[in-house]
Amino acid sequence: MAYVATRGGEKAIEQAERLFRQDLGTIDAARVETIRATMPYLIDRVMGEASLYDEELAALALAQTGGELSEAVLVLRAWRTTQPRLAIARPVQQHELLTQRRISAAFKDIPGGQILGPTLDYSHRVLATDVLEGKPFTAPAVDLADQPAPARQPSLADWQRQQGLVAPSEASNVAPQDIPDLTREPLLFPASRAHRLQSLARAETGGVLALGYAAQRGYGNAHPTVNELRLAEAEVVVRHPRGTEFSAGRVRVSQAEVTSKEKGGYLELGFAATFGWNEVKVIAAATLDLNSAEAPVGSAVHEEFYLYHTESVEASGFCIHFKLPHYVTFQSILDAMRDAKAKKAAAEAAGDVYVAEPEEEPVI
Amino acid sequence: MFNETPPGGADHAQMLGILARARSETLKRHAETLLADMGEITVVANRTGLVMVPMRDTVGQVDFHLGEVLVSEAQIADRAGHIGYGMVTGRDLERAMAMAVIDLSVTVRGTDAATARFLAEEKAYTAQADETRMRQVEATRVEMETF
Repeated sequence: MAYVATRGGEKAIEQAERLFRQDLGTIDAARVETIRATMPYLIDRVMGEASLYDEELAALALAQTGGELSEAVLVLRAWRTTQPRLAIARPVQQHELLTQRRISAAFKDIPGGQILGPTLDYSHRVLATDVLEGKPFTAPAVDLADQPAPARQPSLADWQRQQGLVAPSEASNVAPQDIPDLTREPLLFPASRAHRLQSLARAETGGVLALGYAAQRGYGNAHPTVNELRLAEAEVVVRHPRGTEFSAGRVRVSQAEVTSKEKGGYLELGFAATFGWNEVKVIAAATLDLNSAEAPVGSAVHEEFYLYHTESVEASGFCIHFKLPHYVTFQSILDAMRDAKAKKAAAEAAGDVYVAEPEEEPVI
Repeated sequence: MFNETPPGGADHAQMLGILARARSETLKRHAETLLADMGEITVVANRTGLVMVPMRDTVGQVDFHLGEVLVSEAQIADRAGHIGYGMVTGRDLERAMAMAVIDLSVTVRGTDAATARFLAEEKAYTAQADETRMRQVEATRVEMETF
């Protein structure tokens, strides 16, 4: 192993950082608040991947990284490590969610009905260029229904179990402090279901989408249908020192169940959830969960493949490390190439046939 | 770890829930009005930290960790050892402290008229916000027909 020292690098590095930050201009509270208030879905994505829920900090991370998402997630995860864990909340259950979007592509008459909620699913995607001509775009107000939607919606999977459509299962009843936690223990394979779902919850959206899409196109075992998709708010239920459980506030969450085909007399289901409203991510992630059971090792739907390769900070960190100096490694490749050429020329001059030596992979 | 019946009682849980969602400025203003009559108070804790939020998977019914929520926490005590506690989502130590002050006041002196009025107003405010939102949501209800 050899190293290359870079002379004069300290000043260049300082100036490079200054150049990056200078291009972003002054970051103040007003900019952070504007990002927070106007880009909720971007904020949600960053909070989900950072597995840290705080809209203000997510907006700050976006502001100071200029919207470079992997950097924003990295600084949030790093900041998270500076904070003590004060408590573990009561587990969120689906039937307790304040549900604002709930659809099923598998069953049209689900208990509680279907609510589109905030979506562009059925809208033309047209860029509002008039805004650039000085005509602000203000959406027309929603016509309020006479009655509010129910605060709680029943679990479709529970209803399906009652109908004998989904295999019966028992709640795990693990104490909250004993739930496996990836932030405190390594991801080992085969992963526990708790680890798999936690890893998918904090996975990188684009990575999950790419692998989920691959499975949906035919590189998986099962083509999904959305059994139920929910965008909702969950209460963060904590405990007062006197023992009283109370909600310290709400967080936005997404959940998806996808189903494929009958197996053993029951519908197969895949599940995923994440912080924030990010339905593409949870549908793709649930597809990966659905495909995991019989996935060939090494395939994109095998859990070791998709969990490792959708881990945002590790994936981006490994990718960008290749731009750091690899001069010694590369020099050895050049030396080997020149040596082979010289030997080949010498062999040809002597009238011999040159047989190349087997290549060895450089040690990086 | 969690029981169905909170030891502090449903009223206490409801009050804490209202305080945690109360408007920041009105919460702090009301807490200020209570402080003068509360005597010496010791701050046990006033800090930010994380609450891990588990969720139950609807398919395997396994609990897993969704991620952590940033919260602000305050715990105070009076000379007699009564405790006031506040925890709110977000980074606002003053909000958590104001919640703890009101909690301690109610613990020691009961719900005075001004606090009862404050709690009723904040409960109505958040309920109105929820109702408006859920009426907007209900407007998006769809009936699917098969042709």
